[in-house]
Amino acid sequence: MRYKILTVDDSKTVRIIVKKAFRTFDCDIIEASNGVEGLAGAAKERPDVILLDVTMPVMDGVEMLTKLKADPALRSIPVIMLTAEGGRESVIKIARIGVRDYIVKPFREEVLVDKVGRVIDLKPLSENPVKAKSILDSATILVVEDKPAIVQQIQDGLKHTPWKIHGVATINEAVDFCTRNQPDIVLVSLSLPDDAAFTLFGLICTNVKTKYTPVFGLVVKTEIQVQQQAQQIGFTSIVTKPLDIPDLEAKISKAMNLDTSQRYFTTDQEVFVIKMPEIASQSSVNEMLTYLKPKMAEAVDAGICKVILDLHELKRLDVIAIKALLQALQLCRELGLQHVLVGNPQIASESQGFEDTKSWTFASSLEEAKGSLARPSPSLSAQPVAAGA
Amino acid sequence: MPTIDGISDMVFRTTMTHAIQEVMRTMLNQRADFHSEIDARKPGDTTPESTGSQIVGTVGFVGDIDGLIYLYLDTEFAAASAAHLLGMTDDELEQAGDEAINDAIGELTNMTVGTFKNQLCDRGYHCKLTIPSILRGSNFSIEPTSSVTRRTYRFEVGNHRIVTDLLMKIDR
Repeated sequence: MRYKILTVDDSKTVRIIVKKAFRTFDCDIIEASNGVEGLAGAAKERPDVILLDVTMPVMDGVEMLTKLKADPALRSIPVIMLTAEGGRESVIKIARIGVRDYIVKPFREEVLVDKVGRVIDLKPLSENPVKAKSILDSATILVVEDKPAIVQQIQDGLKHTPWKIHGVATINEAVDFCTRNQPDIVLVSLSLPDDAAFTLFGLICTNVKTKYTPVFGLVVKTEIQVQQQAQQIGFTSIVTKPLDIPDLEAKISKAMNLDTSQRYFTTDQEVFVIKMPEIASQSSVNEMLTYLKPKMAEAVDAGICKVILDLHELKRLDVIAIKALLQALQLCRELGLQHVLVGNPQIASESQGFEDTKSWTFASSLEEAKGSLARPSPSLSAQPVAAGA
Repeated sequence: MPTIDGISDMVFRTTMTHAIQEVMRTMLNQRADFHSEIDARKPGDTTPESTGSQIVGTVGFVGDIDGLIYLYLDTEFAAASAAHLLGMTDDELEQAGDEAINDAIGELTNMTVGTFKNQLCDRGYHCKLTIPSILRGSNFSIEPTSSVTRRTYRFEVGNHRIVTDLLMKIDR
């Protein structure tokens, strides 16, 4: 449900500023230029909050507020005054009629968003609500860590991603960064002095702009108590030092709900390619298998009937990798897809050691595999299917 | 009822300076510095209305004390301020026309006069704001009647000048 904010102000400038302030949030702004229009708008639209000026022609804000509060159907709508009338006595008089908050002009957009965010649960507007963000999209990651070596390690480790890693050493710098930018994820060292990580977590959670931003705690593996404390107060995840970069990357992808299928599945000239990662850990295999069926169905729907299982980067053929590959081969067989394996000499050699894989044969490159698939009777396929059947 | 005689020139000046600085900083992210007080009666001192093409916002306050403040901006600064407030490019502002600039300057004046008079309210001089209006032109002059006091201040905002002209009714 989109929230509705009614702005009642005779100044078009103020109404534009209000619209500008909330343009990145999932809400509709309804406009009225005086109290009469404001009351009509409130009755028709039933807004979730009203921003109300005082000095207006036709009907001023005080009269509109009085009438609104006298109407049983409208009286529960929260009103925030947004006005240049800020003398102590005026504020007290208006507050007595019943307002949720009072903002005196001049005002900063952040203050307006913050005050409205205390009345309604403002959610940032997704840039593209239909398509999930993928690992190929850029993202901003804020690392709050007073040890430059750790920041550097994260920057180096994730440099193959399109993510921008921004390192700061203190929470003041972090707050300043969050004011100017909207990070997609925040990694904060739990070892910062004076429990600064927990202070920052509180600030992030109470700020309308950042309250849905995932926050990871960075901590030395042995500091169990701090890890528990962070988990209890709601940190999204804990990342232990020394850092396991692939694990960190997976956690970030998961926290940002990224579509990671491109890591494992591509389409190359009418051939569907399933690529095994360098290290087939249980988490990466699980991630791959999550996408396997829908991605293969998508390929079939697109008219693709040839599949390459690319193992050339895989360093070790173990039970985890074999189970995943057998599932993929089984699916190829069920869908009637022509398929070929690509592997390196190490994998080809290791495949001889397992009952399920000893009959597998491998092309040495993607090009060779494509050539094989192009021939009417592929010489490098089918064997694994027989082995896995 | 308190009278304006109880307020010194220095209080008017600091109150106005605070109002201008607050509005410029908050709404335009600009620093404003008090430059000078203009004495229109003094030979050689320039009255605000005698300089180039101007957009002038006006908002009054009525109550325990009655008055009017004119805010003078040169057209270039007025357009830049409006573009900043509205988040528009120069082209977009040109398309929006003079009405957009007028409304933006009217609102800046409203905020300035509001901040000024709220400080007076907190000193016990209760009054309310009036609706803004706008004057545009060049080589015009605003002549106060003999029943008002006049205090005119210049401020520097970047490379531009803002002039505030405070006219207040002498006690009834």
